[in-house]
Amino acid sequence: MVYLIASAERRDLGAIQRSSPETWRRVRRYNLPIQLALAAAEEVMTASSDPKCTAVISLAPCQPGSADLYRWGHVVTSGMASGTLGDLRMNPTQTLHAVDNLAMSAFAIAYGNQAECLGLGGAAGQAWCGLEAVLEKLDAADRDDSSGTEEVILMAGDQDTTDESTAGIGVALLLSKHARAFVPLGRVVRLVRIERRAQPNPTNVHPHAAAGLCEFIATIKKQNDGLLSYDVPTEQTDGSSSVNVVVEVMS
Amino acid sequence: MSGNDGDNGRRRVVITGTGALSALGRTTQDLWNGLIANRPGIRTVDRLVASGITVTTGGEVDAVPHDQIDRDHEIANRAIDDALASAKRAAANCGFIWSTGLDTFQANSHGFVHRSAGRCFSALAARFLEPKRMIAAACASGTQAVGEAFRLIRSGRIDACVAGGSSVMLTPFYLIGFAGLQAVATDNDANGDHPSRVCRPFDRRRKGFALADGAGALVMETLDSARTRGTSPLAEVIGFGMSQDAFDLNRPSEDGAGAELCMRRALADARLAPHDIDAVNAHATATYLGDLAEAAALRRLFGGDWKRVPVSGVKGAIGHAMAAAGALEAIVAAHTCQTGIVPPTVNLSEPDEGCELDHVIAEPRDANAERVLSVSFGMGGQNAALILQRVSA
Repeated sequence: MVYLIASAERRDLGAIQRSSPETWRRVRRYNLPIQLALAAAEEVMTASSDPKCTAVISLAPCQPGSADLYRWGHVVTSGMASGTLGDLRMNPTQTLHAVDNLAMSAFAIAYGNQAECLGLGGAAGQAWCGLEAVLEKLDAADRDDSSGTEEVILMAGDQDTTDESTAGIGVALLLSKHARAFVPLGRVVRLVRIERRAQPNPTNVHPHAAAGLCEFIATIKKQNDGLLSYDVPTEQTDGSSSVNVVVEVMS
Repeated sequence: MSGNDGDNGRRRVVITGTGALSALGRTTQDLWNGLIANRPGIRTVDRLVASGITVTTGGEVDAVPHDQIDRDHEIANRAIDDALASAKRAAANCGFIWSTGLDTFQANSHGFVHRSAGRCFSALAARFLEPKRMIAAACASGTQAVGEAFRLIRSGRIDACVAGGSSVMLTPFYLIGFAGLQAVATDNDANGDHPSRVCRPFDRRRKGFALADGAGALVMETLDSARTRGTSPLAEVIGFGMSQDAFDLNRPSEDGAGAELCMRRALADARLAPHDIDAVNAHATATYLGDLAEAAALRRLFGGDWKRVPVSGVKGAIGHAMAAAGALEAIVAAHTCQTGIVPPTVNLSEPDEGCELDHVIAEPRDANAERVLSVSFGMGGQNAALILQRVSA
């Protein structure tokens, strides 16, 4: 059995700076997707029974860079042909992006977390792979697993574009094999299953690591008791299969 | 789904096909033959010289022209096609667990070219079955992809899978970045040595890795399925472990505690003890701290037994192919399981103080190695370990 315990969504860096200076101090060195993912993770981890031992599934952003990084990319690549790169040095902040799943590492350092982990990449629809992996990890913990995983955090951050004025979203979900009330709903939410069906004709998608999970959580928050069969909007899938998530809300 | 073919209800998972593009050539056999011959594939890359940067050596893949606009996709696809062909399998019957690493930044006749790693993954994944998972765990990505595929097959979720990784990063954009981190050996670090010797894992003269392009693909399936199809497996995957250092974004802890943890998890997963391991395919990047931490972790893992276990790494020969590295190394480890032979660590001649291990130097060693531990320790402290073994009759 897998239960949703807590969720958090962050969209406003300014609000984080104003209301949580400690959080801002910890995340300010990163780019927007990582900042928002870590801020969301920080909120759900207050509900964790053991932050050091919570398994981590982290989704890398589909728009992984920053406006500054891409400007720098243009400088380097345009200088290649002319042989003018010389002793050019990269801003150390940008070199952090050599870690493709930076939020996962930063989270581990922040919590001293060395638990089981899975880093998923910034391709369309990977959020649902992450949710499937949560089910697999917590189900395996009941069957044939030496890790002793009791809780999993699924976290993601992404941005609309890599322009200066872009908007971003960070989201985090905490799931457990033990039933507890889902914090914002005050009722138990069980993740029952995830089903996929191949799409005969591939559809257009909007690659975004965090947006789909936010809409999914918003739907759960409006749900009365009983089963919810949630059809993931086509643009939030990988375009090759439809995804249906079934959850059960119980008083 | 196939039935159980292992003990305790676990399905046994084997590798039945491989494909490798590396600085040693365009096939798995090129890679293995080059390693056994102690031959470095790293060399001076003309376009890097022309750009005027301080790093002009790397592990270049010749099979696909460097200015081909979809080079990221093509390098991966060739390795995948080779793996499927050698396994006599079709993509439409396999899941796909793959890492395409970081975005690609190139300049060619089309001008500035930025290719998204995510879109590259989606294009590669189109012809496969679910699950299609893109792995992103820095330099541990390739190993994690193979490990994730192993778990999905063992658990019964899928019967067959293509797993691995690909990387196109041998560009000034990334070389300047890694030089800033003091992770790559620059031309100045060569100290008059031949460019092919710039990457020296565990050696007292090591100065960092050589960046490389590459792709490694493995077809994995149940032993039951392989036998039913009459296919001879190359090796069996029996254990996988992941961990994070939780220490620092840019350097490992000197005692290698995070690395040791993932190796112990892989052993526990395989229900083995350290003395059951016959050889190690090391991460061996040739970075000063990375090699020290890895050697410390291996010595602690094996305890008083560490002088018995031959250790070898491939990055001195092919460079660091990032998202592809762990997959290429798993392929080499599988060959070691099959042949018993441990290839030498190319460019290692004088092991550094603190890097003491039973290094395989200058020539291959016939160690009759049946079980190999293959490890990757990524930047940011993301670690992964696999255990492979010879397939019993």
